[in-house]
Amino acid sequence: MKTVYDPRGAVGTDTKARAARIGSLDGLRLGILDNTKWNANKLLRQVRDDLQSAHRFKSVNYYRKESFSRFADPKLVEQIRAENDIVLTAIGD
Amino acid sequence: MAAVLSSHSRVSDDTDLVEYYYEQGYSDGLPVVPPTPEKVAAMVAALGGDPEHVEARVPPRWGVLTREVLAVNMVMAGCLPRYARIVRAAILALCEPAFNLNGVQATTHMASPLLIVNGPAAREAGMNGGCNAFGSGNRANATIGRAIRLVMLNVGGGWPGELDKSTLGSPAKYTYAVCENEAQSPLAPYHVEKGFDASDSTVFVIAAEPTHSVVNHVANDAEGILDSMVSAMSTFAHNTAVASGHCTVVLGLEHAITIAKQGWKRADVRNYLWMNAGNKFRQLAFEHRYGKVYNRFLPVWYKRDLDSRIPITPGPDNIHLFVIGGEAGRFSAFIPGWGHMSNPVLREIEGKGKKEPVCVDGTCFL
Repeated sequence: MKTVYDPRGAVGTDTKARAARIGSLDGLRLGILDNTKWNANKLLRQVRDDLQSAHRFKSVNYYRKESFSRFADPKLVEQIRAENDIVLTAIGD
Repeated sequence: MAAVLSSHSRVSDDTDLVEYYYEQGYSDGLPVVPPTPEKVAAMVAALGGDPEHVEARVPPRWGVLTREVLAVNMVMAGCLPRYARIVRAAILALCEPAFNLNGVQATTHMASPLLIVNGPAAREAGMNGGCNAFGSGNRANATIGRAIRLVMLNVGGGWPGELDKSTLGSPAKYTYAVCENEAQSPLAPYHVEKGFDASDSTVFVIAAEPTHSVVNHVANDAEGILDSMVSAMSTFAHNTAVASGHCTVVLGLEHAITIAKQGWKRADVRNYLWMNAGNKFRQLAFEHRYGKVYNRFLPVWYKRDLDSRIPITPGPDNIHLFVIGGEAGRFSAFIPGWGHMSNPVLREIEGKGKKEPVCVDGTCFL
């Protein structure tokens, strides 16, 4: 018999529950996270305008990451979590 | 909770191990050296022993890189145990948050980490910084770079089409590791410019496009040679021009000697290149032909009038200068980077490295 190796290493995983689904957008606080990719703001602003014409949000808040490729600052994520009920984000390459 | 993978198992004696590793999907496309318990043990010992010691978690798969897993990949790449400290340091540098390996692995761009080694460690490993340094023919260069790529593939999960979304890729995604030609360079070594002692050994990693040749058989002065480099830098097709960040300039030996004879130092070269290379904003904005362009990838402090000069990098310190190559030939190379999304990392091979915060805003500059 010969020995063979798995070169991949283990992967740690955590199981997280999905957030409760939203039935209606009216009265909610909408957060928009712009990842700062080339066309992300164009796409997100158009979607924001479309949503605002169809729904009555309690508030609409716009945020931007420092870099589309890097993680969002954990403080920014906490701020978005505190100030919003739902969050919309997108890549706009 | 960690999903524990069995690190090794047994197969029948008549198994073709080269084909076995192909079938498992553990190759970069070239045949791998089948790891044996003896070779893995020798590599683990060279890495410092303790096979379960965790060196890093490698994105975007975030696989746990233990010393044994690193050793297995190094053996598969064809490394000798004496390369271990270089590969280990390079991997630790790549996994520092400032480098953003997560993005480098996943991007549609063709960037690959380029490793440049300085100090005695390069010589002791037998790395080539001379003739054909970026090419084939040297085991240390070839297998150190290949080991890094195998770790990025197997542990980091950067499999083409899955977590690596590169549109074109590049040959540098097989191996991309060299050292500076310190023995023949007329300039101070790179790591000395950055505050290390010449007797220290360092690894420098940068997300990089492949090498672009810079030819100049005519000029007998620094300005003439560097104007050819300026020409290679001053296009708006490469990522550094469009997305800022850092780039690498490699002076071939003949060019470096001509430049040094005039008394120019490393900073003079970098400052000259920074001062003279660049584009007009109108080029980067395509004359606003497709709508008013701001270019969010460039620093906010750049003027964006159509005739504003847009430098290739925000400052001369973002141009990383090395002297590499053989004795004959009036050639140098320009190596564009990936963009502001990744910062290069310089790390002492035996050092502990810097503890950095999560780098989300570009403040973690080299």
